[in-house]
Amino acid sequence: MVCTGCALLCDDIEENDCVKHACRIGRAHITSMQETSPMVAQEIVGMDAAINSAADILADAENPIFVGFGNCITETQETGITLAEKIGAGIQTFHTEIFDDILDGAVKTCTLPEVRDYADVVVFWGTDPMNTHPRLLSKYAYYPRGEKRQRGWEEDRTAITIDIRESYTASICRDTHMIPPHGHADFMSALMDALRNKVPKTAYDKKRILKLAGVLKKAEFGVIFAGADLIRSVPRDMLIRLMEQLNSVSDFRILPLVPGYNLRSIATQLHGRLDRGDGGDGSGSSVDLQDSDCILCLGFDLMNSLPADRINGKTIVIDPNETLQSRYADVVIPCAAGGVDCAGTAVRMDGINVELPQSRESERISDQEIMRRLLEVV
Amino acid sequence: MGKSMKMDLGFDEFLAAPEYAIIVVTYPDIFQTEAKLLHGKFSEEYQDLSAVIVLDSEDLEKIGVKYGDLVKISSEHGSVVATVKESEKEHPGIGYMPEGAWSNVLGLGPVSAKVSKSGQSVPAIDELRMSYSN
Ligand code: SF4
Repeated sequence: MVCTGCALLCDDIEENDCVKHACRIGRAHITSMQETSPMVAQEIVGMDAAINSAADILADAENPIFVGFGNCITETQETGITLAEKIGAGIQTFHTEIFDDILDGAVKTCTLPEVRDYADVVVFWGTDPMNTHPRLLSKYAYYPRGEKRQRGWEEDRTAITIDIRESYTASICRDTHMIPPHGHADFMSALMDALRNKVPKTAYDKKRILKLAGVLKKAEFGVIFAGADLIRSVPRDMLIRLMEQLNSVSDFRILPLVPGYNLRSIATQLHGRLDRGDGGDGSGSSVDLQDSDCILCLGFDLMNSLPADRINGKTIVIDPNETLQSRYADVVIPCAAGGVDCAGTAVRMDGINVELPQSRESERISDQEIMRRLLEVV
Repeated sequence: MGKSMKMDLGFDEFLAAPEYAIIVVTYPDIFQTEAKLLHGKFSEEYQDLSAVIVLDSEDLEKIGVKYGDLVKISSEHGSVVATVKESEKEHPGIGYMPEGAWSNVLGLGPVSAKVSKSGQSVPAIDELRMSYSN
C-alpha cells in the first residue's frame, strides 16, 4: 500500500497483521480508527441531511471560500475546484506559492530518487523532517546508497541544517547553523554575499558563513529542502535570487517540505489562476477568511492551524477525523481517508503521480463523492 | 476530553510571580502527531504533548519554576497555560512550543511573550477560544 501520512507517499508499506516499513506517523495514520458522525448544528444527523444542509449553506453564501485541499486525493481536488467555480467560491491553500515557482521554472528542482542517486550536499532549511517527513533521510536524502553515492552519508553526503531551533534533524547533521527567531532573511542575505565572495555584513559568524558558501559552491548536486518556516519567513523573490546565485556558482535544486500529502497536486491544478490565495504565513488568508460568510474546510483543521480569532462565517467541515473546527462547525461531513478507506491518486512532493489503492474495507464515502453530491444539489 | 491540571499556588504568591520576556518558537513533534492520529485532538495524550513549553534551565530559575510546573504565557494575541519542560539545550530567552491549538493562541510564531508561574489549569482544546485577547 501507499502511505498518505505525508507527501513522501511511501509505496513500500505492507499491511497484513501489522504495518511494516511505515514510520511512527505513517503507522498511526494507517491504523487510525477515529470515527465521527455527520452533524448539523452539532446534532448527529444522517449523511444525506448533512450534505443537503451543507449545500443550502453554500447556495446562500455570498462570499464562500474553500480552505485546505492538501490532505485529499487529486480527484477530490478536481471536483472541489469545479464546485468552487460553480458557486463562485475562492480557494485558499497554504504554502503552495513555492510550487508555483517550481512549475514556472523560476527555481530548479529534482525528484527524490535523483536526490538519493546524486545529491552530495543537502540543506534542511527551516524544516525538521525527522518530525514531519520521517523517512526522508533514510529513503532519499542522507543515509541511502545511490547510483553516484555509494558511500551514503558516511563519506558521500554532507547534510546541513539552518534553523531557528536545534531540531532533531540538526542533531544528526554535520553542520548546523542556529539562527535567531526571524533570522532567515538576514542569514540568506549574508549567504548570498558570501556566495559572491563578499565578506557578509552580518552579526553572524562571518567565517562560518564563508565556509558554508564554500561547501555549497563545491556541490556537484545540491538540494535545498525548504520548510514551511523558511517559505513564510523570506520574500518569495529572495528565495528565487538565492537559487539563481547558487546556480551561477554551483548546481542546486529545491524541494519544499510542507504539510499535506497532496499539496503539490492542488498547486499544479491551481497554477496560474488569479482567483486563489496562498496563506503561506497565515496573513494572506486573514482578510478573505474574516470577510467570508461561509468557509468550507476540506481536510484542514482551520482552528488548529491558524489563530482562531480570524474565523467568522458559517463553517462546513469535510474530514476523516474529528477536528477542532468540527466542534464549532455548522455542518460536519466525515469522509474516507485517501489511500486508506478509499482509492485515488496523489502527486508526491517531487511531482511524481502515485496511485493510491484502498487499503482496508470501509463504509465511509470518499470526499470526492461528497463533493460530487454537493455539486449535484447546489 | 482534555485533562485539567491544578496546582497549589497561593493567591499572593501568584500575584508576586515575576513575568519574564521570551520569544516563543513553535516546532513539529512526531509524538504529538502520532497521539493526534491514534487518540484524537481531544485526548489527554494529545493535550499532554501539545500544551507544553520547553524552557532553558536559566529561564526556569528566573521565572521560579521547575519541570512539570504550570506557566502562563501571554502575547498581544492571547494567553495560555502550559506545562514546563526543561530543555536539554541552552536557549535562554526562547521558549519552544509544539505547533497546534495551544501555541496558536499566542499568534503565528515566533512571537514575543511574557511567561510567569501560573495557578490556573491547562485549558482543554475546546476552551482555547476564550484564551484570545479579542
Ligand atoms: S514518511 Fe510519510 S509517507 Fe512515509 S511512512 Fe512516514 S508518514 Fe507515511
